[in-house]
Amino acid sequence: MSRTPQSGNSTVWSLVFFATLALFAVALYTIFVVAPVEQQMGIVQKIFYFHVPSAYAMYVGFGVSAVGSAVYLLKRDPRWDALAVAGAEVGTLFCLIVLLTGPLWARKAWGVWWTWDPRLTTTLLAGMIFAAYLALRSMGDAGEVEKRFAAGLALFGLVDLPLIHYSVQRWRGVHPTVITGKGGGLESEMYWALGLSFIAFTGLAVLLIWARASVERQKEESARLRLELMHR
Amino acid sequence: MLFTPLALAESPPEPDTAASEAQEDAAEERATQFVGVRGPEAESIPGGALLLAAYAIVWALLFLFLMRMRGLQRQTAEELERLSAEIRASEGQ
Repeated sequence: MSRTPQSGNSTVWSLVFFATLALFAVALYTIFVVAPVEQQMGIVQKIFYFHVPSAYAMYVGFGVSAVGSAVYLLKRDPRWDALAVAGAEVGTLFCLIVLLTGPLWARKAWGVWWTWDPRLTTTLLAGMIFAAYLALRSMGDAGEVEKRFAAGLALFGLVDLPLIHYSVQRWRGVHPTVITGKGGGLESEMYWALGLSFIAFTGLAVLLIWARASVERQKEESARLRLELMHR
Repeated sequence: MLFTPLALAESPPEPDTAASEAQEDAAEERATQFVGVRGPEAESIPGGALLLAAYAIVWALLFLFLMRMRGLQRQTAEELERLSAEIRASEGQ
């Protein structure tokens, strides 16, 4: 019995979906039951287990958007444009999560909701660049010029991603750097909780980008049919 | 002798005296002492509430995103169906 690509895709999607769901359940158990409460900050430190993987999922989303945009500029294939839109939207969602959960932790740890730390500022900048991308793309059916301009904007946003990552090392700020190449910043149970969260958020980002790109391709098809109908 | 205090008040203060007075004014604007809290701690940031708020924000935003995507998907599917029907109808004419 032969299987269509559609049914194959659906099976893989379901597998990733249930694996992600299970991983979230295990991650939450590890975060709240297994991982110890941090000595200095107390229970509020547990925000870290969703905050950091959200930042990683934001990199995935924005990275996918930039890659999709670059390939679209080269090939003019609407499937890559759909991927770019999906990546930008999912990346912005996770950026918003990072920018809202971070201040809740900062209020307890630093005594302030926000400070113009290099990492915080560059993250806000990335969010604003991709929000501009989405604003540009949300103005009705985007034409070729809008798509190309938005693709350029996504590539500009890509430049900001290494700045977010290396800002802590290059410029002295107050943002913690417990995950470094040198290691040693977390206890083993904390590493487990963070690792599981990382995998769960990666699965979630993949699922959301996949589903959103599928909707965007449908929108492209709908725009093509509208054009076809107009020319009849 | 009766006019002496008035004369002193009207006469401009010496430069050294004026500078020291200005320093004293500036110092008076700042806090000059710290008083310890008696009884329970005055400020306590509730970590549990902040943690709960953070996790609630994550789930709420994900839920809203999924709802928006579902609406978009439904709307696009309906439009595709309508356009396909219109194309079929125009082919039949």
